Formats: sequence, structure tokens, C-alpha cells
Amino acid sequence: MEETIYVRLRHRIQARPNETVLIGDIAEVIGSDDTVGGKIEKIPIYHLTIKDKTIVVLDIVRVIKMIKAFNSNLDIQVIGPSQTIVEIVFSRRKFTLGFLVLIWFLLFIGAGLTIMNFHEDVSMQEVHQRIFTLITGRFEARPLLLQIPYSIGLGLGMILFFNHLFKKRLNEEPSPLEVEMFNYQQDLDHYLIMNENKESMKKLDDH
Amino acid sequence: MIISIIFAIFVGFAGGIAVGAGFVAFLSVLGVIPRLTQITKTKKYIRSIEWAVIFGSVAGGWFSLQDTIFHFSPYWLIPIGLACGTFVGMVAGALTEVLNVIPILAKRIGIDNKLLILLMAIVLGKITGSLFHWIFYVE
Repeated sequence: MEETIYVRLRHRIQARPNETVLIGDIAEVIGSDDTVGGKIEKIPIYHLTIKDKTIVVLDIVRVIKMIKAFNSNLDIQVIGPSQTIVEIVFSRRKFTLGFLVLIWFLLFIGAGLTIMNFHEDVSMQEVHQRIFTLITGRFEARPLLLQIPYSIGLGLGMILFFNHLFKKRLNEEPSPLEVEMFNYQQDLDHYLIMNENKESMKKLDDH
Repeated sequence: MIISIIFAIFVGFAGGIAVGAGFVAFLSVLGVIPRLTQITKTKKYIRSIEWAVIFGSVAGGWFSLQDTIFHFSPYWLIPIGLACGTFVGMVAGALTEVLNVIPILAKRIGIDNKLLILLMAIVLGKITGSLFHWIFYVE
């Protein structure tokens, strides 16, 4: 009798260099009883070598091939993604404090410079002088009463947009930055799936 | 005479339509208004928020073109300045985000978990840069 097993690949896993990846690492296998699924999950599917660099994409056909070799009478049902991205994590790059301080100041000075350029570009000084005259009827060459709250508001607006102060209190929706990070990661993954996956390409071997 | 008046009205109206449509399109691309309604949970009042943008633009255009002068206390400038700054800050934040600067930067240097610190660098940099500009740079 043919037995049905269900295979669901994980989207993305992390592995150590020179590790042997088992089917159980990249997929969840459910059989009619636990023993079949458990045995299949123990099958090694890929041995990571130094040549693999940092990313390997394992395709579902590879998993099916392995399971068929284990027992060809199984009926395999695939659910979920059809490939897994294996990210090879080398010993964690130490994140030094000096590096962080450097980048911090880079962004700090850069952000300050861009806002100054922006103010010059749109003649913000004149606009502020105009607003000052509009409200009070007097001319003021340096309307600091308007400009200091303006500068504070500038930071407030950015924080508000990225929703970091009110994150816990106001809602649980992700901030635009988190969504953007997610989208960027999705694009990268999509690229990897198409370009690193040996199963999805067929080239002429005539060189 | 009549022709030139009609033509002037027509040109002014056309220019206004182009600028107004462009402004609203820019705001829509940046997604500042959806973001505000998301934070404050006022999605169902979106119509009145749209009207705030329209009235704001018309009032700003009218007052600046007419050289209107109110004789209010200068302390009104504090909330006005704060509102101006917050709006510009949100637009600046949205612009950085549309350009995808931070995700790429964080990914490249592998500091996804220290994002908040980098964000604070940009925010504090904007505040300091702006204060420096008004207090020391402009003479």
C-alpha cells in the first residue's frame, strides 16, 4: 500500500560551514506514523563545503529524489515553498564599538549636512522670515522663536514616521522601516532562488 | 483687454492645478498621511484629513501671495514652528525610506539589530544640523 507523506520546506535556515544538512533541517516531514517521518528527517541531503561560500539553495526535487531513494513506494505531497535558502554562518563577525561609533558619526554628520543643504536650497530662512512677519507684523532677521521649535519638530516628525517611540503603546503594526527591511529581504531571497538554484537553470555545456 | 484677462485667469488656474496635483501626488508617494492615520487610528476620518491638506495649501498660498499680516503674539510661532518641523521631518523620513537607504546600509554592514541606534544618529543629526544652521551658519 502506498503511504502518503507531507513535506514542507522551510523558507530560510542557517547552518555552520562543513555541516551536513539533514532533510529534517530544511523540511518538516509528516507521515502517517511518526517513525517514517522521523527516519526521513535523518537523511543527509547536502554536505556544505568551503566552495559553497555563503548561500546554497536546495530545491524540492533534490529532497524528493532522496526520499524516493529511501523508499520509492511513498506518495510525497509537497506543501509550502519549493526551495530552501541555506545561509552559511561563519563565526559571527565581531561587531566592534569603534566601528559603530564611526558609522554613527557618519550618519550624524551626513544627516545634519543634508538638512542644511535642503534649507539653503529652498530658501528656508526667507520663508521663516515671511512667516514671522505674517504672524507678528514685525520683521525679524533671525526668527529663532520659530526656528528652534522647527528644529525639534524635525526630529519628532522622523521618529513619528518610523514609529519607534509609540511602538508598544499605540499599535502592533510594523513600522514602514520594518516592512521595507522585509521587502528588501524578500527581493534578495527571490534573486537567490532564481540565480543560485542549480535546478532552475539549464545552460548549454559547450564551452 | 477682456481676452488678456481671461487668458491670465486661465494660465493661473492651469498653473494652480498642475502644482496642486503635483503636491498631492508627492504626498501620496511618500505615504505620510496613511502613516499618520495608522499611528493615531483615525482611518475613518481620512476625508477630513484630506480637507486639512487642501485647506492648508490654499491658506498658505493665499496668505503668502497676498502679504497678509496678522498682529498675533510671537509665541504663536512656537506651535507653528513645531508643526512645520514635524511635517518636514516626516517627509524627510519618508524620503529616506522610499530610497531604501537604511535597509541596504544595515544589510551591507550586518547590523540589523542596531537599527534603532543608526536611526537615532540620523534624527539627532537632523536636529543638530538644523539648529547649527539657524544659530551659527546664517549670519
